[in-house]
Amino acid sequence: MQILRETRLEALEKAQKLGADAVLELLEKRGLEGRGGAAFSTARKWKTCKSAPADERFVVCNADEGEPGTFKDKFVMKHNAETMIEGMLICAYVIGAKRCYIYLRGEYEYLRKRLLEQIDDVVKRSGVDVTIEIVRGAGAYVCGERTALVQSIMGYRGNPQYSPPNITTCGLWGKPTVVNNVETLTCAAQAILFDDWDPKIRLFSISGNVTKPDVYELPLGVKMSSIIDIAKPKNKLKAMSFGCFGGIMPVDPEMAVTPDTICVEKCQHGAYSVILIDETNNVVDIAISIASFYAYESCGKCTPCREGTIRILDLLKKVKRGEAVPKDLDTLRELAAHVNDTSLCGLGQSAGNHVLTSLLHFRKDYEAYMKGGAGERAGENPQKRQ
Amino acid sequence: MNLRVDSMSGHHKKEKLLMNILWELQDRHGYISEHMLKQVSVDQDIPIARLWGVVKFYSMFRTEPQGKHTIEVCGSPSCVLNDGTALVEFLKKETGVGKLGGTSKDGLFTLYKVSCIGCCDGAPAMLVDGKAHTKLTTERAKEILGKFKGKR
Repeated sequence: MQILRETRLEALEKAQKLGADAVLELLEKRGLEGRGGAAFSTARKWKTCKSAPADERFVVCNADEGEPGTFKDKFVMKHNAETMIEGMLICAYVIGAKRCYIYLRGEYEYLRKRLLEQIDDVVKRSGVDVTIEIVRGAGAYVCGERTALVQSIMGYRGNPQYSPPNITTCGLWGKPTVVNNVETLTCAAQAILFDDWDPKIRLFSISGNVTKPDVYELPLGVKMSSIIDIAKPKNKLKAMSFGCFGGIMPVDPEMAVTPDTICVEKCQHGAYSVILIDETNNVVDIAISIASFYAYESCGKCTPCREGTIRILDLLKKVKRGEAVPKDLDTLRELAAHVNDTSLCGLGQSAGNHVLTSLLHFRKDYEAYMKGGAGERAGENPQKRQ
Repeated sequence: MNLRVDSMSGHHKKEKLLMNILWELQDRHGYISEHMLKQVSVDQDIPIARLWGVVKFYSMFRTEPQGKHTIEVCGSPSCVLNDGTALVEFLKKETGVGKLGGTSKDGLFTLYKVSCIGCCDGAPAMLVDGKAHTKLTTERAKEILGKFKGKR
C-alpha cells in the first residue's frame, strides 16, 4: 500500500535541501489534496499560511476522525505514524512553525501512548527544534471541523466559528495555522520523497453488511462493483452510504467513485467511507441510527440544527412505531432541507441528507413501516375509521 | 464575540492546554467535580462558568462519580447493521445499569451508547475503560464483562 511506505526522515531531509518554496512547488506539481473531506490543495493551504504576516505559526494534525464508517486515520496512525509525524515536521519547516499539535479523538486514547513515544523518537532523530503535543479530544464529533478544533485546542467549547477569518491566516491564538488531516500529512511526506507517488489513490473505509470490512487503497474512479467484490457482502445489497453526510443511496454497481458522484448536491467530498447495507434491513432503521448521531453530535450553536436534528429523529421514530401519516413524510423532507440550508458548519449542512436521499430512493421502506403499524390498527377497528 | 481574537492575549501564559488538564483530572479521579474545577479556575485564571461550559460540552467528560469500569458501546450505522442494537440491549441487562448513562447497583459498570468509536471494521464494537473490543457477540460480551466481574 502506498500509504504504508515509510519515509524514514529522508523526506524531511529532502525538503530542507530543496527549501520551502521548492517544496510548495513540488507538492503543487504532485497534486496533493486534503484527505479530510474538503479536498483543498495542500500546497495552497501551506502557502497561504506561510505568507500571512505573523511572528508565530502553528501546525495541527487533525486526528479527530469521527465520521461513522470512517476508520482510515486510525489505520494510518497504527501502521505508519512516523511518516505522519515527519509530514508535520515538513509542514512546520515550510511555514516556519515551532509548535505543532495532534488533536487525537478521545475514542482513540489507546493509540496515544505509542504515538507519544513515536513523536519523541522522530523529533529527536530529526534534530529540528519543534515541539509536537497531543491534545486529547473528548467525544465531540464537531471538533473535526477545523474552526471548532481550534477552539477546542485553546480550551473552549468546540463550536464552529464564522469564516473569515480563515484558520489558515487567523487560527490558534489568532496566529496563522495549518490544520491538516492525518492522511494528508502522511501523504505530504511521501509525495515529497517518492517520484512515483500517485495522487489518485485514496484510502477507502469499507464496512456494513460485508464479510471483509477493512481499509482498502483504491484509485479514484473505481467502480462500485469492484468495491462490492472486494468487500464480499453477505446478502444482496440494497443501499450504500458514504458516511453519514452522504445520505443513503441505492447501490449502483456501474457508478465510478469520484468526488462528483459521491456528492448528492453541494455536499463535501468526504473521506471515502462506504457503508454497505443489504436487503435484510429497512432503510428507516439506518436513517434512525444516522439521525441519532446528528441529534447527539449537534453542538447547539445553530437553532435549525440543534432543534431540527431532534425533530427529525422524533419523526423517524414515529414512522418506525407505525404512527406516521403521509403528511409526516412531507414534514420530514421540509425539515431536512431546512436544516441543511440554514446551518453554519458542515455537520448541520449535511444533517438532513440521509432523510432527503432515503425518502427519494426508499420511500417504500417508509411506507412498509407506516402500513405495518397504521394498517393493522385500521384493521382492528374498521368501524371507527369509517 | 470572536473567541479567536479574544484569546490571543492569554497565549503562553498557560503551560498546559485545558483539554489535557481536564483529562488528567478525570484519569486520576474518574470524574471532574465542582471542587476540582474551582482549583483549575484559580490555577489557570479561567472563570468557573467557562470551565463548566467546556466540561459540559464534551460528552466524554463526566461530572458525576462513575462505575469502576466505563463501557462505551457504539451506536453507528455499521454497528447497527451488525446486530449492534441487540448488543446494546444485552449490555444493559448484563451490567444491570437500568438505563444508558446509568451505573450498576454494585458500582462496577457505567454504560454509555456513543456515536462512533472508529471500529466499523470490527462491528459491533465497544470500549471498556478506553480499550476497544470488536466483533462482539452476546457470548463474547458476556465473557469480557465476566472477567471484570471476577476481578472484583
